[in-house]
Amino acid sequence: MSLRIREVTKHFGALTALDSVSLEIARGEFVCFLGPSGCGKTTLLRVIAGLEQAEAGHVELDGRDLIELPAQARNFGVVFQSYSLFPNMTAARNIAYGLECRRQPRDRIRKRVDEMLALVGLQDHAHKLPSQLSGGQQQRIALARALAPDPQVLLLDEPLSALDAKVRVDLRLEIRALQQRLGITTIMVTHDQEEALTMADRIVVMRAGRIEQVGSGRELYGRPATRFVAEFIGRLNLLPQDGGMPALQHATETGAGRPAVLGIRPEAVRLHPAGTEGANHIPATVAQVVFLGSMTQLVLDPGNGMRPILAETHGPEAGGFEHGAQVVMELPADQLRVVEWQ
Amino acid sequence: MAIADTASTGIRQPRIWQRAPVLIGTLLVAGPLVVFVLWPLVAILMRSFSTPEGFGLENYASVLGTARFMRILTNSLDVTLVSTGIAVVLAYGFAYGVQRTLMPGKAVFRLLVLVPLFAPSLVQAQGLVLLFGRNGLINRTFGTSFDIYGYWGIVLAMVLYVLPYAFLILSTALAVADQRLYESARILGAGPWRIFRTITLPSSRYGLAAAIFVCFTLVITDFGNPMVIGANYNVLATEIYNQVIGQANFERGTVIGMVLLVPAAVAAIWEKYLSRKQFALISDQSKPLELRPNPLRDWSFAALCTAISLAILSVVAVVIYASFVHLWPYRMTFSLRHYNFDVQNGIQPLWNSIYISLMAAVIGVIVVTAASYVIEKLRSPVTRGLYFLSILPAAVPGMVLGLGYVLAFNNPSNPVYAIYGTLLIIALANVYYYHAQGFLIASTSMKQVSGSFDEASATLGGTRLQTLWKVTLPVIAPTLVGVAVFFFMRSMVTLSAVIFLITPQTQVAAVSVLLLEDRGATNQAAAFSVCIMATVVAVLLAVRGMLWLLGWKHVRLIR
Repeated sequence: MSLRIREVTKHFGALTALDSVSLEIARGEFVCFLGPSGCGKTTLLRVIAGLEQAEAGHVELDGRDLIELPAQARNFGVVFQSYSLFPNMTAARNIAYGLECRRQPRDRIRKRVDEMLALVGLQDHAHKLPSQLSGGQQQRIALARALAPDPQVLLLDEPLSALDAKVRVDLRLEIRALQQRLGITTIMVTHDQEEALTMADRIVVMRAGRIEQVGSGRELYGRPATRFVAEFIGRLNLLPQDGGMPALQHATETGAGRPAVLGIRPEAVRLHPAGTEGANHIPATVAQVVFLGSMTQLVLDPGNGMRPILAETHGPEAGGFEHGAQVVMELPADQLRVVEWQ
Repeated sequence: MAIADTASTGIRQPRIWQRAPVLIGTLLVAGPLVVFVLWPLVAILMRSFSTPEGFGLENYASVLGTARFMRILTNSLDVTLVSTGIAVVLAYGFAYGVQRTLMPGKAVFRLLVLVPLFAPSLVQAQGLVLLFGRNGLINRTFGTSFDIYGYWGIVLAMVLYVLPYAFLILSTALAVADQRLYESARILGAGPWRIFRTITLPSSRYGLAAAIFVCFTLVITDFGNPMVIGANYNVLATEIYNQVIGQANFERGTVIGMVLLVPAAVAAIWEKYLSRKQFALISDQSKPLELRPNPLRDWSFAALCTAISLAILSVVAVVIYASFVHLWPYRMTFSLRHYNFDVQNGIQPLWNSIYISLMAAVIGVIVVTAASYVIEKLRSPVTRGLYFLSILPAAVPGMVLGLGYVLAFNNPSNPVYAIYGTLLIIALANVYYYHAQGFLIASTSMKQVSGSFDEASATLGGTRLQTLWKVTLPVIAPTLVGVAVFFFMRSMVTLSAVIFLITPQTQVAAVSVLLLEDRGATNQAAAFSVCIMATVVAVLLAVRGMLWLLGWKHVRLIR
């Protein structure tokens, strides 16, 4: 079973929210839509859910086109950012809601509700109203409610962004574990790259209504297809090959001699004592030292009009540098990649 | 399943499953609004232009040009501006005392000022006549010869009549304030009067304006009080009654109705415009006001509120008293004989009032809930039109709407004629006369039911009807109880929308008070007034008790 999105287009007035977006999602896969606000990720999720009508394109599940079906008939579970638990119903009745709408027999509903409460570990809170539950508990109930009718696909719209940092981190792992246990195809919208990296099998990076790149977190981080992806996921030093920048050797095949913007991740920058020489070795002054516990960030200023480079060091290496110290930074050729041709 | 070929048509159109409920809902709401609001207004407009020679301006010319009309118009504006001014100033003081001081007995004062809402709308004039009339308590006791009838009688009655309405608005406006502003002002060295002038007054200016417009509309359209206490001092509202009932001159009545519609409509539109602005003044970072004791201030306001409450109460108390004496003012011994209601129709008008009010409560809740649901949740190209029709009655004086019903429906060829002359048409007149207020209460509540509940329900397989029945209605149910009570209370006490619609069989209690008063049957009129008040209070207590049993708190019943 797979979910196929074909050439979905949607406008809000003059704004193009989705520009002919196509995507295929395998059964049991956990996919994150990642991007800045306004990139169309939520709109795409809502089109898939049937809450928003696309002007053109198709949403197919296992070859069957769903685009004409209202949200009621799609059997997709949705968890909203604001939980949206019905305030007039207890946790148990919220979970039962989807089953009641489908007019399932009473005893089966009761059994399923108990199952779902056990699944999210809230058996003791069955008879509480949403207002009596914490944010994390409400989101667990919302998840149980979405899963109760046994949906074909689970859609999560920024489900963690309203929660405290600590709860958010716990719930990330919990949702991921639950998804793997149930093997349910899941799509989550988020603007938090860390969330996407920890939870998703594949990440879909979106920008201005288009898909920028699709891949695993490792792929996106290691081989970003565009400058946007490179800058959006992780941090990146940009090295335009002009001005004061010395010519650097790099592993990427050159694009017929065109000037390129190179990029390097902060943790790939190597540091050597002043005076060290070699390929891609550039002397610099330590302009700033930021101690962050497990690592130290250094801002290195090479002078001669080059922009400062951010470096990250771990372990004992980190201790050796002080503000104003002279060092040599090495930008290893195999770590440099072209992020944009000019 | 057929797959629409969107490549060739370009834009995908909304599907039938999206359109059908919108269409049905819109028709269900629009139909009755057109029949019971728009049609009567069109009927009255047409009639005002109809002459024996077809359409023309003769009716207007024959009314507007006369010296008598100009005098009545001036009278109306004079009475309205003076009573509005006095009532709003007093209500502001009263509301300030309740919201911004630590005077003792706030809860009691808050209740006392609302007492006129439980009584027929002409109880003020009735009470003032009993107190200051030729045979009034004062003249009798002290041998004086006060003459309350006329201008000052009307002004006094009107002030007492509209005080609670102004109080409700101003009390809301003064309820919220930002402590930080007051602290800053105090730190900067501002005195109490300066703080009042530069912070309190500006922050309540929208409430103040709304109170002025509401009072203006209430006074200029009220006819019960001037009928009873106005004597020869005629105002627009009594003139419509005189023309239609006294001289059976519908044309002149409709012309004056159209004239009355203008200031009432202008005031209502302004009020709606301003009420939208009130909310933006307080941000979510505001700190609630902390009141500090100030004996001089607190006791001054306690004195003011006591004086106002006594004035309100004395009027009501004297009516209750008069209902229990043998023959006012000659035999002041205790008697229950007026509660035998040995008048024409006996006690029947009271029962009629109760039936009508119960019907209005049930129909009113259904009608305004449906309207607010369709307008808030089923957006369509006609939503704005529906909204306009829903709040249009706020701009229409009750007598004008009632007269419109007569002109539109008292006609055997009209389908509504089937219920003409029944209690139902009177209940419907009340429902649509108070439609705007009921609708605004319901729609405010409906707006607070987030659209994300609808979406959550849809993704769980809930249909629109299931969502409405299982989620939306239960969430707003407490407000709907308040709406039902609102329709019941208003229908029990109102005169203006029903005065032209009653028949001897469908007479209502408030009209009985007016007619008995007119005939000089003071004691029976008082007894009817007391029965109306008792019914309203009993229902309020019963509903409050029911809500308590259900565990529903914070439900506002008096509006």
